[in-house]
Amino acid sequence: MRRDITLVVNGEEHRVTVADGETLLAVLRDRLNLTGTKRGCDQGDCGACTVLLDGRPVASCLVLAADAQGKTITTVEGLAAGGRLHPVQEAFVRHFATQCGFCTPGMVMAAVGLLGENPHPTEDEVREALAGNLCRCTGYGAIVRAVLDVAGRGDGDA
Amino acid sequence: MEMPEFQVIGRPTTKLDAADKAAGRAVYLDDLRRPGMLHARVLRSPHAHARIVAVDTARARALPGVKAVITARDLPGRNIGFGLDNPPLKGEKVCSVGDEVAAVAAVDEDTAAAACSLIEVVYEELPAVFGPEEAMRPGAPVVHPEKPDNVSLHYHFAAGEVERALETSHAVVEGRFQLPFVTPCCLETHGVIAEFDLQGNLTVWSTTQVPFLYQKELADALGLPGSRIRVVKATIGGGFGSKLELYPFEVAVAELARRTGRPVKMVHTREEEFAASRPRTPMVIDMRTGADREGRLTVRTATCYMDNGAYNSWGAINPLVGMQTVTSLYRVPCVRYDAFVVYTNNPYSGAMRGYGNPQATFAVESQMDMLAFELGLDPLRLRLLNANRPGEVTHQKMRITTCGLAGCLEKAAAAAELPAVREEGKLYGVGLAGYLHVGGGARVYRSDGCGAQVKIDDLGKVTLVTGATEIGQGSETVLAQIVAETLGVPLSMVRVVNTDTDLTPWDVGTHASRTTFIAGNAALAAARRAKGKLLALAAEQLAVSPEELEITGGRVRVRGREGPGVPYDRVVRAAHFRTGGAVIQAAAYYDPPTERQDENYAGNISAAYSFGAQAAVVAVDPATGRVEVLKVVSVHDAGRILNPLAARGQVEGGVSMGLGYALTERLVVEQGRVLNPGFLDYRLMTTADMPPVEAVFLEEADPQGPFGAKGLGEPPAVPTAAAVANAVYRACGVRVFELPVTPERLLAAIRARGTSGGLRQATTM
Amino acid sequence: MDFTLYDPVSISEALDLLRRHGDGALPLAGGTDLLVRIKKGLVRPRVLVNLKGIAALDGMRMEGGRVSLGPLVTLAAVAKSPVLREHVPVLVETAGRMASVQIRNLATVGGNIGNASPAADLGPPLAALDAAVQVSGAGGVREAKVADFLTGPGVCARAPDELITGVSVPACGPGERAVYLKYSLRRAHDIALVGVAVWLRLADGIIEDCRIALGAVGPTVVRAREAENALRGASVAGVPLAEAGELAAAAARPIDDVRAKAAYRREITRVLVARALARALTGKGEAH
Repeated sequence: MRRDITLVVNGEEHRVTVADGETLLAVLRDRLNLTGTKRGCDQGDCGACTVLLDGRPVASCLVLAADAQGKTITTVEGLAAGGRLHPVQEAFVRHFATQCGFCTPGMVMAAVGLLGENPHPTEDEVREALAGNLCRCTGYGAIVRAVLDVAGRGDGDA
Repeated sequence: MEMPEFQVIGRPTTKLDAADKAAGRAVYLDDLRRPGMLHARVLRSPHAHARIVAVDTARARALPGVKAVITARDLPGRNIGFGLDNPPLKGEKVCSVGDEVAAVAAVDEDTAAAACSLIEVVYEELPAVFGPEEAMRPGAPVVHPEKPDNVSLHYHFAAGEVERALETSHAVVEGRFQLPFVTPCCLETHGVIAEFDLQGNLTVWSTTQVPFLYQKELADALGLPGSRIRVVKATIGGGFGSKLELYPFEVAVAELARRTGRPVKMVHTREEEFAASRPRTPMVIDMRTGADREGRLTVRTATCYMDNGAYNSWGAINPLVGMQTVTSLYRVPCVRYDAFVVYTNNPYSGAMRGYGNPQATFAVESQMDMLAFELGLDPLRLRLLNANRPGEVTHQKMRITTCGLAGCLEKAAAAAELPAVREEGKLYGVGLAGYLHVGGGARVYRSDGCGAQVKIDDLGKVTLVTGATEIGQGSETVLAQIVAETLGVPLSMVRVVNTDTDLTPWDVGTHASRTTFIAGNAALAAARRAKGKLLALAAEQLAVSPEELEITGGRVRVRGREGPGVPYDRVVRAAHFRTGGAVIQAAAYYDPPTERQDENYAGNISAAYSFGAQAAVVAVDPATGRVEVLKVVSVHDAGRILNPLAARGQVEGGVSMGLGYALTERLVVEQGRVLNPGFLDYRLMTTADMPPVEAVFLEEADPQGPFGAKGLGEPPAVPTAAAVANAVYRACGVRVFELPVTPERLLAAIRARGTSGGLRQATTM
Repeated sequence: MDFTLYDPVSISEALDLLRRHGDGALPLAGGTDLLVRIKKGLVRPRVLVNLKGIAALDGMRMEGGRVSLGPLVTLAAVAKSPVLREHVPVLVETAGRMASVQIRNLATVGGNIGNASPAADLGPPLAALDAAVQVSGAGGVREAKVADFLTGPGVCARAPDELITGVSVPACGPGERAVYLKYSLRRAHDIALVGVAVWLRLADGIIEDCRIALGAVGPTVVRAREAENALRGASVAGVPLAEAGELAAAAARPIDDVRAKAAYRREITRVLVARALARALTGKGEAH
């Protein structure tokens, strides 16, 4: 079964015809060409596909595109404004929090989601909030430092 | 050590591609689309060992949307892999679960997958064998008829009077160490896009870490001249060794591209990545270590049984690295090493960060502690007594130049303290482990070289074209730093090109922690030559001799003379835009002054060796067996650190991999089948699990390394499991000889030892 | 994934769809279990009945000493709920320990119950609290205790043409304490190797009543009744923690699987029950 839906992604409206079983991740990547969101496992276990749905981090591989209609969808491509990186993205750059970078979009979205709800998290809260995002390169140290920096709780350690 | 003032080297430098990656703009293989692209899927064997009786692809071919279906007889060329025993598509028999039997190209992934399920294969199951020792027994099922005893390779090295030393040593400890399957888990799975042009030239977009070796191997497999193959890289999302080789599916995809005349793409699902990419070699290591009364090591022997799996790949070379550790980590007068690389019907093992060293170090460093306790010596003192020293030549003729092992051990031990506040009922301990690893390349092939070209253009842009591959570790940035520092120009003016075998000079590949050292030396040499040319031109323009000139902050100045100097790009323009003009480009190729090992495994295979030590602080819950790591201190002699941010990242990342090996990761393979092909039950460390990691660098400039640097990519993952196991012993008096140290395993060991009297509170080191 | 998705806007419409499509239809809430099972090929429904458009299935309210939750309440909402924090704090702690943020923002209470995994984290605390599910079908609305509703591994007492339409949890009254301890290898993500929920009602210095519910050590939630009996009437000053642990371990019926062996799970049950009780009594001790 296919249906026409309207998805509002990063403030822009997109009309697409999708199959009932198509996930938001597949539509973002394959139909809307927004390949910043990554497919890491397609089963909700790695966090690489994290986007914000009404400001909340979700695994887009487990969201049906049809269910995303009427919601505000934010992907990593929607963070930079006016050619400037979002503060979380800037902090990732500053702290060397990206190595291979594959986990980075999902990690950044999870961090933005956290800070939207809790602007000054403790380190434990940051680790809790990012525990659904796997990274094999960094050991998470620089990532946590980057988020704490944005949260105003960093120790200036860069 | 005197640290000269550098402009770029040694300063915390952000990654050149960090902004793109943070913005989601970096393009990885799965993000690529080519016009008319088809999607491929591979049909994999469900059996660990079976004869292929018949394959019928008729129904698959008839499915709408399917453009090509191939099986073994459709593939020209030959087998792949080290040892050339691996047919890209299996025709006669399958030797492991997941073996590739057919491949389909279709208009989309779902159609290709549906087509695969329509391919009918008749198998005749054969008896199978799933462990190296069983496989070596007479009468065991034979995996490859050319090796009727299933022993693919046997490595042997010995020096000194081993038997006498074993008999006469004051103390000898003995143990059987068992190392499991674990797997790299790159966040980006393997993938390839293959596309032929109308002249029969093949372009391959690949996630490979070794584009030039890959190019050659693919050419041989396809029966194509290598000169007709171009390997292009997208951004690579991690390698850790798994992307060091050509996979069967990549050959099949290229053949599908040839047949359909269209680009064909295939990307591993995560399940395929777990079940069909290369894991670390599982090993059983029987080791003995002896010492005299004062604690000087007298002898070390090791017999290793390695589960090679169904085909030879880089796992079969792991013993070269393991051997080095057994014969050369700490000074041991008598050594003997035997490794049996054994075929089984398990998934075949490949390269994974550390490449045989984590396994060997687990055994060696566990036994150092065992000896220490046997002799009543402090574990740190025992290690210091026997530590390698600068200038030594080991049994295998490895020439150790710089060596900071002793300093690293001391620093690690001093920095790891038991916590002041302790929870009731928990037992605490600190454990230490050192390592030795190649730090200046590794001449495993005939060449260990890397080429570089530096171009300085009229606009001041400096381009480094390097053969080296960036897999996320930050090598690209370090190479740019080397060029910027050498030339005396701002880092922001340097770009790095490393993505295309048609453009870039040869490099053997990103492995053995060699990139900073070897690609760095090549970049350094090329930059020096470019600088020489630029200064020669400037000298002409300024009517001075080149020796009087220097470049600082991008300006060419006469040394000692006041004044603003001349911007370097202006020198270039003045030289170029005139009759008889010149442009500035320079090339260099660095192949280190090392040797391949001879037939007795002797030879200085690396131009430098890296050393270090880790200390782990743990809390053990004796009621559940759970081990909590409270802190890891990781101290490294990796020469001069060119980029502290990148180095710290390597350490923190390596430790997280090492902790996974120590405590939580195990690829469960039973009857040849991976039972946990997913992130839920294959447990990587998460942000919530990682303890604080303190990275310390004892910097002594290495004479051969670029600006004194040595390799650091693999070492942080090498000693961690040993440090944790040693800490667990200190905490609760129980030694676990098998990884991972799961709570279940530790609890069983605690119970077996008896619950009272054996468990004692930790003492400080 | 290949199915037809229907989006009813009322409970009766949803029930109608389930009735019409019978075995070929499954209800879809958060999708975090169901979509994964479909992707893995473990289940192949032709039809999914999407419940998320049914407002009546969402929401939380406190009345008559019980908190009523719609089945669509997400685990994230549970973890952040001020109502639950005040009246049933154990559910807040439990939800916070489940999966990851990205899953919790999608996964629902009804889905977790309906999926009926033996290791599901909501099962033991809901059973220990004597919570109930409301089930609606053609025949009307019925109530069942959660403990009775979960009948086997992946099986609950919902007929194919029924829906879970509510969960009702008694608020913790004076003297009542509840604790859920989840034992897993990692601090995040993991499915429980053992889950232990204890609920106590203390009065006049004795344990007036208690319930101990075990997860991941049986085909469904296991009540450790002998352990409960040993605790009832015990003085707070001398609670037989070790004995309760032993009895609970004996009541567990774990199996060997890829995550752990049965013997180990039994051992952890013993330890965890004692620790959960200690924490319920004192408010201190192991949080995980």
